[in-house]
Amino acid sequence: MIEYIHEILLAFSLTMALIATYLVIKSRDLIKAVVFSAIQSIAYSLAYYLLAAPDIVLAYLAVGVGIYSILLLYAISKTERYEEVEKRG
Amino acid sequence: MAERLGDIVVGIALAVIVIVIVLAFTAPGLLIAGILPREDIRNLAKNFLIYAVNWQRKEFWVSSPEVVTSGVWDYRGLDTLFETAVFYLAIIGATSVFRLLETKIHRKKPGELGLSIIAKVGARIMAVLIIVASISIAVHGHLTPGGGFQGGSAFAVAPLVLIAAFSRVLLDKLGFTKEKMLGTRVVGLLVIALVALIPISLGGFVMQNQLKLWSIFTGYPTGILEPFLWISGSLFFYNIAEFLAVGAGFTILFILLSLPEELYRKDLEGGGTSG
Repeated sequence: MIEYIHEILLAFSLTMALIATYLVIKSRDLIKAVVFSAIQSIAYSLAYYLLAAPDIVLAYLAVGVGIYSILLLYAISKTERYEEVEKRG
Repeated sequence: MAERLGDIVVGIALAVIVIVIVLAFTAPGLLIAGILPREDIRNLAKNFLIYAVNWQRKEFWVSSPEVVTSGVWDYRGLDTLFETAVFYLAIIGATSVFRLLETKIHRKKPGELGLSIIAKVGARIMAVLIIVASISIAVHGHLTPGGGFQGGSAFAVAPLVLIAAFSRVLLDKLGFTKEKMLGTRVVGLLVIALVALIPISLGGFVMQNQLKLWSIFTGYPTGILEPFLWISGSLFFYNIAEFLAVGAGFTILFILLSLPEELYRKDLEGGGTSG
């Protein structure tokens, strides 16, 4: 068990990333979607750390959580916060 | 019913993707699937690891134990040079889209704006911590994981936090103006260009770091007062300069984005302070 701790943590972080990505796509509240995308970035940076790429982690955390989120929030502030629910036929 | 079925399909697909990704990226998974990287490709990585800091074979070394930074600024230095140029052009594009001569806002005291006192105190502490951490990432990026771009992008989060908690009036007061940031960025880029071009004038090749058998230039010093302060030749200067360029570049972007829209409207109508 303990010798596969890397793989288990990797599976955990990638699963978190996928769940967060799914929620990003599904959520109608765009601010919430940005927060989920930041969570996805955190999960990915954990995965990068487990894959022994600490250089990527440092850039990815700053860009993925800070800079990218703020650019999206700026874009959302210029438009509407809630996505319109379209009727399915 | 159809929607529930769709959710189940999505769930199964996600699980399959997770398993495939884990199998693809881990060594045991690669062994199970029987697709390990080709032997000759693995040798390439091994060579980088062996030669980055190798006292016996100094003709190939970078004198930096950080193999990623060695690759970024020495073995594949020209790639990074062009990457820096792309970033430089991107910021030029941003400043020309948001072209205003006057970016300062004269308004009430900064204390009256922004979030609650708890958020402000937290933001103050975080901003100082972020700046110190980003400088440390950049300054010993040639020894430990990190480097100029990583440090610069981490630095850029500090003005972001301050804008969010205090409004951008504080940024003006602290001296993070657009003009100063543009100046800092130009200094960083000039240092990169100088460090890259100095070897040519001394008989070396562009972006040469250490002594190579086929060039006259003897390389940058590996340390100041060796072995007390290890700077790994040109890598240290590149990292510092890239830190200045990237950090200031992102800060310009945030200063421009945080300007209120009325300023642009006024500018468009011709009533603004700029021409």
